[in-house]
Amino acid sequence: MKKSSWIIGSVFLFTLMLSGVASAKPIAALLFPLSGPFSAMGTDMKQGSEVALEEINAKGGVLGQKAEVVMGDDEFQAPIAIRKYKEMVDGQGIKAIGGTLSGGISVAVNEWACKNKVLYMCFCHSSIPLGKEQCGYGFVSGMIPYQTGVATAKYAFQNLGKSWMIITQDYRFGTDELAAWLTVSEKTGGKFLGNIYSPLGQVDYSAHIPKIAATNPEILVLNVYGQSLDAIIKQLAEAGLTNKKMKFVIPKSHLYAIKAVGATYNENFYGGHEYYWTLQEKFPKAKKFIEAYGKKYGMPPSQDADGGYTGTRALLEAMNAAKTTTDVAKLVKTLEGFKMDYNKGVEEFRACDHIRATSVVIVKGIGAKAKDWNFGEVVAEYPASETLESCENNKKDVPYGAVKLPGK
Amino acid sequence: MKADQEKASNKRASNRIVWITLLVFLVVPHIISTPLATEIMIYGLFALGFNLLLGYTGILSFGHAAYFGVGCYGCGMAVRYFGLSIWEGLFISLVLGALLAAIIGVLAIRKRGVYFAMISMAVAQMFYFLALSPLKKWTGGEDGLKFIPKLSLTFPFQVDLQSPFPLYYFVYFIVGVSLLAIWRILNSPFGRLLQAIRENEERTIASGYNVTMAKFISLVFSGLFSALAGGLFFVYLGYGPLQTLYWLTSGTILLMTILGGMHTFIGPIVGVAAFLFLQNKFSWIMERWQLVVGIMFIALILIFPEGIVGTIKSKYLARKTAGQEAEPREANE
Amino acid sequence: MELTPTLIINQMLFGLALGAVYILMACGLTIIFGLLDVVNFAHGTFYMLGAFAAFVVVSLFGNFWIGLASAIILVGLIGWVAETFLIKPLYGKDPLYPLMLTFGLSLAVTDLMRGIFGTIGRIVPLPQVFSGSLMWEGIFIPKYRVFIIFLTLGVLIFLWYFFKKTNLGMIIRAATRDSLMVRTLGINVPRIWTFGFALGVGLAGLAGAVNSTIQSALPDMGVEITVECFVVVVIGGLGSLGGAILGGLIIGQVISFVSLLASDWSNVAIFITMLLILLVRTRGLFGEAGRL
Repeated sequence: MKKSSWIIGSVFLFTLMLSGVASAKPIAALLFPLSGPFSAMGTDMKQGSEVALEEINAKGGVLGQKAEVVMGDDEFQAPIAIRKYKEMVDGQGIKAIGGTLSGGISVAVNEWACKNKVLYMCFCHSSIPLGKEQCGYGFVSGMIPYQTGVATAKYAFQNLGKSWMIITQDYRFGTDELAAWLTVSEKTGGKFLGNIYSPLGQVDYSAHIPKIAATNPEILVLNVYGQSLDAIIKQLAEAGLTNKKMKFVIPKSHLYAIKAVGATYNENFYGGHEYYWTLQEKFPKAKKFIEAYGKKYGMPPSQDADGGYTGTRALLEAMNAAKTTTDVAKLVKTLEGFKMDYNKGVEEFRACDHIRATSVVIVKGIGAKAKDWNFGEVVAEYPASETLESCENNKKDVPYGAVKLPGK
Repeated sequence: MKADQEKASNKRASNRIVWITLLVFLVVPHIISTPLATEIMIYGLFALGFNLLLGYTGILSFGHAAYFGVGCYGCGMAVRYFGLSIWEGLFISLVLGALLAAIIGVLAIRKRGVYFAMISMAVAQMFYFLALSPLKKWTGGEDGLKFIPKLSLTFPFQVDLQSPFPLYYFVYFIVGVSLLAIWRILNSPFGRLLQAIRENEERTIASGYNVTMAKFISLVFSGLFSALAGGLFFVYLGYGPLQTLYWLTSGTILLMTILGGMHTFIGPIVGVAAFLFLQNKFSWIMERWQLVVGIMFIALILIFPEGIVGTIKSKYLARKTAGQEAEPREANE
Repeated sequence: MELTPTLIINQMLFGLALGAVYILMACGLTIIFGLLDVVNFAHGTFYMLGAFAAFVVVSLFGNFWIGLASAIILVGLIGWVAETFLIKPLYGKDPLYPLMLTFGLSLAVTDLMRGIFGTIGRIVPLPQVFSGSLMWEGIFIPKYRVFIIFLTLGVLIFLWYFFKKTNLGMIIRAATRDSLMVRTLGINVPRIWTFGFALGVGLAGLAGAVNSTIQSALPDMGVEITVECFVVVVIGGLGSLGGAILGGLIIGQVISFVSLLASDWSNVAIFITMLLILLVRTRGLFGEAGRL
């Protein structure tokens, strides 16, 4: 018994040591939720990053070598993301990390990155550039949450009516959109009729439908996401409200949400998107990306894919421009004001708050006319200048951070 | 005579296990990734605390995430809102865990096993939802507890808890002390009483013991150590995640304990190590990790309910009693 | 906001529709527990399977009613298989073992469904006859919710008839009280248990199919409903069908009104309700002990 336990023990230790052996040295670590309830969007983001990585390597790689980038699963959990980033940074000497899908996870990772002086490129909608969150090491290739609220609100009050009611998912993203809508409403003469808070994970809105029907706003803002968005659209249809005069505006809509409800997403529905693939008509440079993505994955890229693509490509190009993969201070300096002309025309990362100055696209539903992956018609595009606040304002998190939200 | 000798040698052997474990974990962070090693220590403590209740007393709690989470947030809030030191924060975790366990004990310890399981799950869910929404001004809601300053120890000497190795050895120290404490508890008459309750509750009651009180104390200790683990988790991350309160955390600690062997002392730590190691390796390369976990769980319950350590132990015992005294007596774990 | 009588009645009606689904689930859980002494931690998973069964069948055959019926049958079959191969081997052991097994089953099956169907929601279209709402003097309820209430009523009547009047039902009730005796009488009790489990999860599948039209069918849709069912059953008293019904009704109303009045407490309210009732009546409202 003694002998065999020695053998078992040494085999075990040996396997452990093997696990530490790495292949080529990676220069960045990217994490996305590849398992769990949001895996579809997380996978999109990863796919966008992979296309960017391939493009860069086809053009010669980073610093003359083929770039190795580790991409993994954060299981949509901050502790797992932090553990894996720790392993990559402490264990493999990586100084640039990227990801993820959740704004909540991104701010936690950002705080960690700052404490450990690591560059963090966030691919999603995140509050990193605002107020206390911004500590100098984080960049955002998605957008600041309020931007999509501002764009959709502006569009709505210009084109759809004045009286509005909103259902807000009770978490940070939801309250950010609510703040944006309240601000724009005041400025442009909107008539606010009321807010209903919906806890995260709610899938039954039947209790609220009578109130909505009774209030009868011109615009109903569906500030809920994921399963909740699918559910509320279907329940509004079930109650017969989607074929009348009411217009529905979704501050951050998604290809997958539209797909999940099908023809119910008719001409009364308007959604804000960071990216919609039919934009390739307007920005021919995007065609290459869309083709490559389509060939590899069989569908056009969603906004998450664009976030992953843009962030990854910018990061790798910045490494080339700064001639380093590990000098974080230099990389940060290079990325500040870094100009990109990828899928949406010329854009840049603002030097002062590290946000990618990008536009919001308003897409109107087309109901039963939807075919393949074309679910909508782009009716407006709001450039960053119309949605992004000045650096000073972002630093102080005004005006949206200061909005007094309706009580519960 | 022989029985006493055997008992004594078994005890020495089991003592040895504890020291071997402590020794192994002294060097482990130099072999595998340090963050992983630190997490193994933390979840190991959580599992030991959990197993006090499950393996030794025979009570299944499906809501142990509540203690872990309360410990994590407790330490975090102490540090963030009251500027307390890490030691004070961890002490608060401990106290909160014991308190919470006492409350749940008063409400539910007399209940039948399945009832207790369901109620404990429901209470943990309640805490999760409380932290998510109504109390989010203090807990940070789904973002978790952030804006934590860089953590370090000042007493008894300066330790920078941002660096991987100092952090590991600090965690190791706390876990080691706790491990020895739990070992003492379980090897006392009280520990044997718990096992008696697990084996045959009615007879234990008939023998005149206050079984309800024993179960209650077991629950309190269990909550205490699980919450302490939660506090350590906060120190390790420098952040307080909402996941600590999620039901999946309760399920995971159950799985890890059973994987290792719920009827052994060291089993839970082995289970934690095996699980975290596998999770780390596999989820870099596959997306169906939860499917694997579920199947593992089912296979364990159906085929190897005694877990890794338990199965090895019983195989060893079977060989021993089959008359093979060729080797000197050493417990094998 | 002012609580007009109309508003209150509307909320009560919605609470009733919500409660109906919980009643279906809780009855299923109770049957399984009363008969097999197993707490089915995978109950929400079977709910989710019912939604997907409806989705697949309705996509293939286009008929909602066939979809509903298939959901019960398909999920019942899956339950039959699960009980035979996974739970039966555990009888005689500590009752915590089947509990833990069903938990593992829920993890595995949920992720399996994520692998097969992905994480984008699937549509089950609402039949035309149910679209729109019934309105009268400001009181307002979607037709589909009315259907759910009547469906549940029908199921309850069926269950009452089944257990009180049919041979099989009486055998099941006897087996709940004294399975040894029933076995001595020559009845294949293990087969009865399998049937009981299939029936219990079949009810969960029906609930899922029913809800699939108003939410989308998603692998994660069953995750939280399991705990909510536990709350219902603990409130009502484990093992009592009457308790399951009362518990479901109470929970439906609690969720409905708390959503209206203090929406960020709506998730927590049911747990607080459970704790309060436990403090007052430790065995739940209808007590326990295998009464079907």
